[in-house]
Amino acid sequence: MSGSGRTFRALLRKDIVLELRSRELVPAMSAFVLATFVLFRFGLGGAHLAGGTRAAVGLFWVGMVFMATLGLMRTFAAERESRLWDGILSAPIDRAWVWAARTCATLAFLVVVQVAALPVFWLLFLQDGPSPSFWVLIAALVLADLGLAALGALVAGLASAVRAREVLLPVLYLPFSIPLVLVAVSLTVHTIPPQTSGFGVAQRLGFLALYDTLFGLLGWALFEYVLED
Amino acid sequence: MSSSEALLCAGLVRRYGHRTALDGVDLRVERGETVVLTGANGAGKTTLLRVLATVLRPTSGRVVVEGHALPAAARAARPLVGYAGHEPLVYPALTARENLDLYAALFGVEPDAVPRALDRVGLAPRGTDRVSEFSRGMLQRLSLARATLHRPQVLLLDEPSSGLDAGGSALLDELLAETGRTVVIATHDPERFDAAARRLLIDAGRVSG
Repeated sequence: MSGSGRTFRALLRKDIVLELRSRELVPAMSAFVLATFVLFRFGLGGAHLAGGTRAAVGLFWVGMVFMATLGLMRTFAAERESRLWDGILSAPIDRAWVWAARTCATLAFLVVVQVAALPVFWLLFLQDGPSPSFWVLIAALVLADLGLAALGALVAGLASAVRAREVLLPVLYLPFSIPLVLVAVSLTVHTIPPQTSGFGVAQRLGFLALYDTLFGLLGWALFEYVLED
Repeated sequence: MSSSEALLCAGLVRRYGHRTALDGVDLRVERGETVVLTGANGAGKTTLLRVLATVLRPTSGRVVVEGHALPAAARAARPLVGYAGHEPLVYPALTARENLDLYAALFGVEPDAVPRALDRVGLAPRGTDRVSEFSRGMLQRLSLARATLHRPQVLLLDEPSSGLDAGGSALLDELLAETGRTVVIATHDPERFDAAARRLLIDAGRVSG
């Protein structure tokens, strides 16, 4: 394995092992998103929302973004609390690998939470309606999650250096996630008949891939400077 | 910079916002030399070591580490420098072995070096224990193993003797006695170290000696 591959694998393994041992993020994110769905379900008057499928899907993605924000609050917490940045920064590596590993770890955590959250959401809001196009839905979730993770790892790195990180993180994260959420909602709606349209779906999947590429490039290029003291 | 110099600072300034931590440091350390840096709390010892370790950018001035000018050539200098900070710089939730495996990957060191490093600092029997269970002295030993894992030419140590028992102190002396290595030690206890080492005082961000 090349030096870069070994670096990436070691950093990703570290992030996953830390979560498996601490069980800090995934259980909290899962509890948060499930509680949000229950609140929406009963707070907004039952399964049949006034806005129909679109409103329900909107609630799902709003829940996902807030859940991701909650998880990102603890991203790089170990490095910050044990002053570990000096150890990482003294290594002769491209610091973009730190961002790449954190993006992949965050993506994995989001996917794990969604595996639990999505069936619950369907049961609470959409069980009476038609079934979604499964593979398009999976593609939409993965692309949207990747964008949320790439942006999140970059913003969490920025926020980790400042005292008011709990305030700065959502202030930076939420506005930049708006285009992604709007398209993810629209795309998810298009996976459910009768709204399904091949062209509309492809267009929206393309936008999500573009968003992922943009924040992938930004994260890769900027993370070196994000970590400068 | 002459070929015999390992470290060179000329007019090094480092500011944190409006506070000046290093105020025009001039320092020259020869290859293989040991320098003991003393000074009151907040005098700038740790900041100077962090700049030399390439984890902090100088605000202004010239810094050269083993022929590599910082910050432009920091990445080339990093494999040549080992830094043991005031904190052990290890993940408490990982085992000693996992921490060293991580740093071995980051520094491009063969995985075989990790058990040898643990053995060298007397932590081989505790290699699979989580670091959160370690005493201060064991953390210090692990920190020394981490900082020397990639066999650096320059070793920067911030209060390396704190928390070490007799065995740990002997180990530290052994590391410092290795020939050919340049060592800079920041400490409040300069008498603890070799009398032959050059002693410098840092006060209000300036070095004298």
